[in-house]
Amino acid sequence: MKIELFYSPGCEKCADNKDALKATAIELMPDVVWRELNVLDEIDYAVEVGVLTLPSIAIDGQVVFSSLPTHRQLRRELIRRSGKGG
Amino acid sequence: MTLTIGKVASLSEVTADTLRYYEREGLISPATKSNGGYRLYDRDAVRRVRFIKEAQRCGFTLAEIRQLLALRASDAACCRDVRRVAVEKKLQLESKIKAMRAMSKVLDRLIAECTRDNRSLDDCPILAALEK
Repeated sequence: MKIELFYSPGCEKCADNKDALKATAIELMPDVVWRELNVLDEIDYAVEVGVLTLPSIAIDGQVVFSSLPTHRQLRRELIRRSGKGG
Repeated sequence: MTLTIGKVASLSEVTADTLRYYEREGLISPATKSNGGYRLYDRDAVRRVRFIKEAQRCGFTLAEIRQLLALRASDAACCRDVRRVAVEKKLQLESKIKAMRAMSKVLDRLIAECTRDNRSLDDCPILAALEK
């Protein structure tokens, strides 16, 4: 699974909590690919994925969160996608 | 120094109706009213209206301009807050451009399909495609 966080440099909202979210993702899925992309460097890709607001999180090439999720929201989404729920 | 609505309109090159519209949209408001009930503006109103016009030219909606004006007036905000709004606007514009390019390609295909000028409207491939 690939998680991509799209941010704008200098955006406090983008930086807030992102390291903790990354830790949550890696703890739940050690083989997850976590990328952080500056939208200004990757504008075409960001548009292709459907990013319209910042920060946004895309999972496997699709925007899932148009603002930073809580740990619980991220966990729930990752579990749902991996079929680990029970 | 106060300015009448006509004076603000002429200095900022808009109509008085536009100023009243901006007021209804919460973008500007008169500093005070005259005894006769006429709107009176301060000098900053002209700068504000020019700001609104320029932001509209850059593709910002009135709601977004309201947000920018709030940031402009906020002591807690700084340039990076405005920058984030601008980057988001760029994303939205790029997204629209992508959609319009795709639409343009569809039209290229339809135009290429319509090669016979004297075909009846019933056989027009462009109209047929749009009716799908």
